[in-house]
Amino acid sequence: MENIKIADVLKKYTMVIALILVIIFFQVGTEGKILFAQNINNLISQNAYVFVLATGMLLCILTGGNIDLSVGSIVCFVGGIGAVMMSNGNNMILAVIVMLVIGLLVGMFQGFWIAYIKVPPFIATLAGMYAFRGLSNVVLQGYAVSVTDTAFLNIFGGGAECYIPDFFGGETMNMTCLIAGVLIAAVYILVTVKTRISRKKKGYETGSLTGDAVKAVVISALIIWLFYKLANFRGISAALIWIALILLIYSYITNKTTIGRYLYAVGGNEKATRLSGVNTKRVYFFAYANMGLLAGLAGILTIARAASAQPTYGQGYEMDAIAACFIGGASAYGGVGSVMGMVVGATLMGVINQGMSIMGINANYQSVVKGLVLLIAIIFDVMSKKEKN
Amino acid sequence: MKNAITVLRKNTMIFVLVLVFLFFTLMTKGQMFTALNFNALITQNAYVYILATGMLMCMLTGGNIDLSCGSFVCFVGAIGGICMVTKEMGTGISILIMLLVGIVYGSILGFIIAYMNIPPWIATLAGYLAFRGWATALLSANSSTGSIAPFPKSYLSIFSGKIFETAIGVFNVPCMVIGVITCAVVIAVMIMGRKNRVKKGYEVESMAAMIAKMVIAVAVILLFAYKLAFSGGLPTVLLWVVAVVLVYQFITSKTTIGRYFYTIGGNKEATRLSGIDTKKIMFMAYLNMAVLTVISAFTVVARFQAANATAGTNFEMDAISACVVGGVSAYGGSGTVFGMVVGATLIGVINLGMSLMGVDANWQRVIKGVVLLAAVVFEILNNKDKMKD
Repeated sequence: MENIKIADVLKKYTMVIALILVIIFFQVGTEGKILFAQNINNLISQNAYVFVLATGMLLCILTGGNIDLSVGSIVCFVGGIGAVMMSNGNNMILAVIVMLVIGLLVGMFQGFWIAYIKVPPFIATLAGMYAFRGLSNVVLQGYAVSVTDTAFLNIFGGGAECYIPDFFGGETMNMTCLIAGVLIAAVYILVTVKTRISRKKKGYETGSLTGDAVKAVVISALIIWLFYKLANFRGISAALIWIALILLIYSYITNKTTIGRYLYAVGGNEKATRLSGVNTKRVYFFAYANMGLLAGLAGILTIARAASAQPTYGQGYEMDAIAACFIGGASAYGGVGSVMGMVVGATLMGVINQGMSIMGINANYQSVVKGLVLLIAIIFDVMSKKEKN
Repeated sequence: MKNAITVLRKNTMIFVLVLVFLFFTLMTKGQMFTALNFNALITQNAYVYILATGMLMCMLTGGNIDLSCGSFVCFVGAIGGICMVTKEMGTGISILIMLLVGIVYGSILGFIIAYMNIPPWIATLAGYLAFRGWATALLSANSSTGSIAPFPKSYLSIFSGKIFETAIGVFNVPCMVIGVITCAVVIAVMIMGRKNRVKKGYEVESMAAMIAKMVIAVAVILLFAYKLAFSGGLPTVLLWVVAVVLVYQFITSKTTIGRYFYTIGGNKEATRLSGIDTKKIMFMAYLNMAVLTVISAFTVVARFQAANATAGTNFEMDAISACVVGGVSAYGGSGTVFGMVVGATLIGVINLGMSLMGVDANWQRVIKGVVLLAAVVFEILNNKDKMKD
């Protein structure tokens, strides 16, 4: 009995365990550099786009393993438009709105072909990948355009000042950050307890009390540790706030809303979903329109982080987003996957990238490793499903 | 009248090809129609025909694609460069090694896709990433410029250059003779085929239709032969393209295994239940794709006389577009080698025409994307109509 339980836990948290092992590996390989406060903060800022894009990709994948290959090009296209607008002296708010709207329009355009004409997603988005890469070059005229609007950079996580200032004037440590960490951990425990009580009340199944307690303690300890680390280096970055915001919103959408559940239903069995009266076309359309919007946001974060827009930006981003989802346990056939899983997958990829960079491994071999990690994750996923059946 | 419409519908892409060709001939003031550009059309697009043939076989099995072929072209080129230039091995043995690398990769890929049920686009996406990185790393490790050259003459003469080369502008007799012989063969094959069908009591097209087809085919072949005769002779690479196209035309239309590719794409489950080893067919599709990718790499390396890190970029896109534009179904089960050839030629004409007109490379990318999307949409809508009939 005990043994089976341990096996179950291992299976459920394979990727979390893999993440821990990878961190330990790099901790040794980089002589502890990977867990420096500065490196943790960099990891978050550098991978903000992965979290945002992978969230959108997750929704597409849920509908049946469909992907969007065009996101990298859309990031570049949207970023290019924003950078050009701002360098022409346009208001930053206007630029942000235009960027988000263009992202959304591009997403709707692709969503229309995919949902209503039934063009296979990989072909429709492959066409988009080429077209928008070309258009970004046209917009930027082949040059790099720098972004100098300080308000824009601060809000979207670029430059040195894009951190939440310390209201408490900590001497060696950012007190605001530390307090925020403790508060978040407290809120997390509260929510866990509340959910458990409400599930009990409604008569739903609940996990064992010790299991839940251990989980809550481990996660809150992790949160506090993370914020303690961040507090040692400038504190909470703007990028982290954007990531958290997106993750919270989409966790809510996928778990608690009707449209969120439809995404899973369509991926599980499209025909059954359609026959039960759900407008499946609209679900596909929603997934791709939403992907465009999030690609717009990722474009904003990308040009803010680099303080410029270049025609080569966003190359390979689609790959990072897809890999994060699959490593995080989303099914390549749709219907299965969660925002939390994707976060673990994205973090794993980020840690591997950063660890290899710190260890000074050739960038070319990094992409080989990325490809292999993706393949292993997907084989693992398919194999473990087979066993279940 | 109804007859005319059927002819138009059946041969839409051929008419589009003719119109596009005329359009560019007009826009470039006849430049498109010069002997040198006929030669360019073939040598520049040889890789598309070869890759698209492999892609066709993959797509037939159910709209499956190979995203890794472009990166693999680059990788195989790098291997060839290391063998022939760095290690100064013999041409024959190097070619064998390159083929072997293709067979090994194809077997692994085929195994993963066919026997482990990994979705093709994910398996090949991993290869897309890994081989580009690996090839770049190999090239930069073996050369300070990141490009390996010069390749031995014995290699170049097999895959590039011209047969019985004469000076440009001088009428090359062997080229024209080969053209005339080809015409004779085509006429003989068409007549024999018709006789055979009549004997077996199959349906045959009207005599007039066949003669019309024959006249058009002979005219096109003679035109090409005549034009190429003035550009210095028959490009060697054309022989490779024709060989590949003919072999696969035969396989897809005359052999049992070729028909299996169509039946799997039409209905995989039914095919499996009728006792056909569908996994083996999927395996073969991807093994075959890898081998053809190697052949394509031979021609690409020979054309540039060097192995480059950028070789093969976007080749997967060209191959997929050629198939889709040539009427290969994005859902599998229908498509012909001849259709693919028309599609590849159409894309080649558009590319060459735009280059001659001096269209910006970025807009070219946009137009490529639009052509791909338009072709898929056209195909899907056209099929919908057919179903209604």
